[in-house]
Amino acid sequence: MIDYHFDWSVIARNSGKLGDALLLGLWLAVVSLLIGCVIGLLAAYARVSGKKWLSAPVWAYVEFIRCTPLLLLIFFLYFGLPEFDISFLDKTQSFVLSLSLYAGAYMCEVFRAGLASIPKQYVEAAKAIGMRPWQRQVYVVLPVMFRITLPSIGNNLISLFKDTSLAAAIAVPELTFTARQINANTFRVMEVWLTASALYLASAYLIAMVLRLLERRYASIR
Amino acid sequence: MGVQDDISSTEDQGLSLERRSLFGLGLAGAAIGGAAAASLLAPSAAQAQTVAKSKLYTIKERGKLIVGTGSTNPPWHFQDATGKLVGMDIDLARLLAKSLFDDPEKVEFVLQGSDARIPSLVTDKVDIVVQWMTVTAGRAQQVDFTIPYYREGVGLMLLARGGKYKDYAEMKAAGKAVTVGGMQNVFLEQWVHMALPEAKVDAFDSPDSAMQALNARRVDASMQDQSAMRWLMQQAPGRFADSGFGWMPNSYASAVKPGDPTWLNWVNTVYKEAMLGVDFDYFAASYKKWFGIELPIPKVGFPQEFA
Repeated sequence: MIDYHFDWSVIARNSGKLGDALLLGLWLAVVSLLIGCVIGLLAAYARVSGKKWLSAPVWAYVEFIRCTPLLLLIFFLYFGLPEFDISFLDKTQSFVLSLSLYAGAYMCEVFRAGLASIPKQYVEAAKAIGMRPWQRQVYVVLPVMFRITLPSIGNNLISLFKDTSLAAAIAVPELTFTARQINANTFRVMEVWLTASALYLASAYLIAMVLRLLERRYASIR
Repeated sequence: MGVQDDISSTEDQGLSLERRSLFGLGLAGAAIGGAAAASLLAPSAAQAQTVAKSKLYTIKERGKLIVGTGSTNPPWHFQDATGKLVGMDIDLARLLAKSLFDDPEKVEFVLQGSDARIPSLVTDKVDIVVQWMTVTAGRAQQVDFTIPYYREGVGLMLLARGGKYKDYAEMKAAGKAVTVGGMQNVFLEQWVHMALPEAKVDAFDSPDSAMQALNARRVDASMQDQSAMRWLMQQAPGRFADSGFGWMPNSYASAVKPGDPTWLNWVNTVYKEAMLGVDFDYFAASYKKWFGIELPIPKVGFPQEFA
């Protein structure tokens, strides 16, 4: 096979760095997903509100994000905004904002579908027992919708976690950046990328397992 | 680098021989007119190989100089807007051609990567390498270096306006508050910390990202090769400033195949006279064009040792 002498000691020497990098990536994905869910929920309500002045800007936002590469958004917030004298976000914060805006657009579509799939009878029943509009949303619509959309939220988390690798482009020390850094210093390319791949795979799979458990526990409402 | 060069030079023995015998035939052909030369060289290609004839005369007979260089590193060797190969290295190569044939166009450029610089000399693919070659003791065991024509080093480039720090002293005083950007490589952190021991270092994966990080004030300074910094300052006048501190010196020189003192000495003569003698104006104009710096006229009226 290939004539390459593996030297795994480089991984042992850098295990602390790689561990920190992995945790940072997970943290970036989770925080972005949470912020993205908030954005997505508000956006989804705006989309279904039936008011043009509310739904049109949200439509534009969602389509813009969905139709441009995430890397451009990251570059724009990190390199572009300071040109307009907006530079209070550091590299990690500006990446979290990019990923949140990105997640928000996708979550908007997920939640919109979720809202649309709630049986009319539920809302009518809530009306019949005299619930106010906000009560109907909080006690009936949202709990059901979250359970329906749980698998999609999970998928988005895994995909966001993989997207954190793009943070390497703006020197955020997550897993891809750290792997490159170690490569540059040691030239042990195979060992480092194989390890990074294994870490991505294991983490994403672990997230998927946890989500499957959650789904089993909660998604059985219908 | 060293290991690879060794491999290439041994592997290319065959190639080198083939090239030489071709060259012998070419000579024999050229010598048909001159009976004396023909009787010396014609008998066999193998014999031609043993005749110690300097490359200088081969080049004169060929009518053009063959130069190994690159095409992707401004301001040394790169393509301008019209696709023409330009730069400081290119100017030096053209000066050699001008000195040989009184025509700066009588030069053929062989574009090659940095890793091909030594192999292409050893295998006679080029007459000389003019490709920002750093002089090291290891390389000097495989090729003969000419006298250096530039002392490279690294420096810290700042924004001329709107940056937090004005010069190196201010950055040094600011300690941990400073962030320096640069291209991701083995030495980035080590080199930055030689100049600014406490500075944070942001590594970017491409030169344009590293540049834009400075433009966007994401980093306070950008570590660059001294020559690249001068080139960038020259390209966008008033936008960037040199922090005034340079370190990590290394010399750029041309290299020729070892064992040809006549050719080496001729190139050295041209280079020296370009920097200090008859071709100073040419060298200074080129220097000004690529680095934006006016070289002072060498002190006249004395031997060089007293100037």
